[in-house]
Amino acid sequence: MKDVLWVLGIVLVTGFGLVTWRIPLVRGLDLGARIAIAFAGGCVVLAVLMFGFALVHVPFTRVTLLIALVVFAALAPLTRRFAPPSPRTAGRGVFAAILALTAYGLLTARETCADLVYFWGPKGQRFYFAETIDVAFLSFPHYSLMHPDYPPLLPLVYAFAASIAHGFSWWGALFTMLLLLLATTLAFRGLAREALGDERASAYAVLLAALLAYGYARSMVAGAGEPMLLLFETIAIAALTFRDDGELLAAIALAGAAWTKVEGTAFVAIVVVAYIVTRRRVVRAVALAAPAIVLVGSWLLFAREHKFLDQYARAGETMHLENLGKVLGATARQASYGAFYLPWLAGAVPFAFAKNWRRAMLPLLVFGGLVASAIYFYLHDNAPLWWIESSAERVLLSALMTLLVAAAAASE
Amino acid sequence: MRRAERAVLTALALLLVAALVGRLYTRGGPYFERPETIVDHVGPGKHELRDALILLPKVRPLLPRGAEVTCFRPVNGWAPEGDTVNFFAAVGQLPYQNVVPPFTAMFHVRRENLAEYVVAVRDPFAHPAYKELAAFPEGRLYRVQR
Repeated sequence: MKDVLWVLGIVLVTGFGLVTWRIPLVRGLDLGARIAIAFAGGCVVLAVLMFGFALVHVPFTRVTLLIALVVFAALAPLTRRFAPPSPRTAGRGVFAAILALTAYGLLTARETCADLVYFWGPKGQRFYFAETIDVAFLSFPHYSLMHPDYPPLLPLVYAFAASIAHGFSWWGALFTMLLLLLATTLAFRGLAREALGDERASAYAVLLAALLAYGYARSMVAGAGEPMLLLFETIAIAALTFRDDGELLAAIALAGAAWTKVEGTAFVAIVVVAYIVTRRRVVRAVALAAPAIVLVGSWLLFAREHKFLDQYARAGETMHLENLGKVLGATARQASYGAFYLPWLAGAVPFAFAKNWRRAMLPLLVFGGLVASAIYFYLHDNAPLWWIESSAERVLLSALMTLLVAAAAASE
Repeated sequence: MRRAERAVLTALALLLVAALVGRLYTRGGPYFERPETIVDHVGPGKHELRDALILLPKVRPLLPRGAEVTCFRPVNGWAPEGDTVNFFAAVGQLPYQNVVPPFTAMFHVRRENLAEYVVAVRDPFAHPAYKELAAFPEGRLYRVQR
């Protein structure tokens, strides 16, 4: 029962994001995409709200959080009409199979990330018990390997679900990945639909779902930050690639990415550079990054104030260019995903049908930037092989997603 | 949308689904039984966290709230300086207790500074200052004698 309530708590987060339906772009999407975007927006709103609660010493309880939920839900334009649903296409069976297989993998403990046990779960659980962001826990020196200054969005979402269920659910945290995969696919399809048409948007959405489902299973990310990060990244890239009015939604999604994982901050920087190169609008690019800068800056100030800066304080480490060959080789080996580079083929082969390279420029630049940034970060470790072997498959998921979005954009 | 494009996209998706099936299959059986822990089929072999994830919920009711406890797999009967796997598993599994690092139960620590409770995963803990309180197939619970 606790597990079911916990998952219900995750679903309830959507209520905080219904306010995103006021954005004109979102208003014109089909119901599935609107709910998916409301869920992603809800995660950002909820995390910011809980951070605010922690700053002003309002405890995270069912009562305080549900009152806030009602207030945010009341701001939502619920009576507006949706765009018509996508027509039934042949890919629905494959999509259902992907979801069913992923559910099976999660419920039989085949995709669990150990980091859920090591730090994502304990942080969420501790925030729930403390009814705040537990700075004593985060700054306890012997817990420093738990990455205390990692951005707080996912543990705060977990703490919210735990408040609803009156307890932490490890199985619920795993099952959340299925909801995130579903939301990522629906958001992509909805955002791409106007540019690509129903049939092509659906076909690429199914391919994206298959790509991510395999990537998640292979790199075992259930319960960790990657599925949440990929949801935000996909919304940001799809909004900027397929829509001319996608900046506001992308800014919210970029803020979510930057507050989910350290890699999210690098993603924001890469997207901003790609946006400036392709659109040549510097002021808009700054506006695009502004929410992410504010959130990450606030979190870093909070961490510095409470003396638990860790990962972010390592920015000045030296680069070991002598390791370049070793890093490239090890990353290339991990990039095969144990399937003869099939995920990369899934992103690259559709370029055979490319017609609109101009639309694909932004995601292609982001793709290149993500691969380069992965190598750049690995070069900062003196002995990077273990790090690459344990993380490259996860880190490269973002690059795979952008490659596929670029292929879809080029097919227009 | 051209038929060839649709066929290629569908074929790629099906190949990835097949790879997903293969991945799930190679995590090992049993395939249709409810797993005991969330790491039961992460790999074909036994996961390093599995014993701790079974043992810690069993010792949890035996520990008072706020008690100082550490968790590790003993090395030759003694507490190691560090055991990231079992220590961090205990942080998540014992939320009502104060989980401290394994070195707080090492042989050179003065008796008054020793962690009050030790959860020893798999192997017995031989420190003479500790008395065994409970034993389970996955490990034992000890309490320091002051």
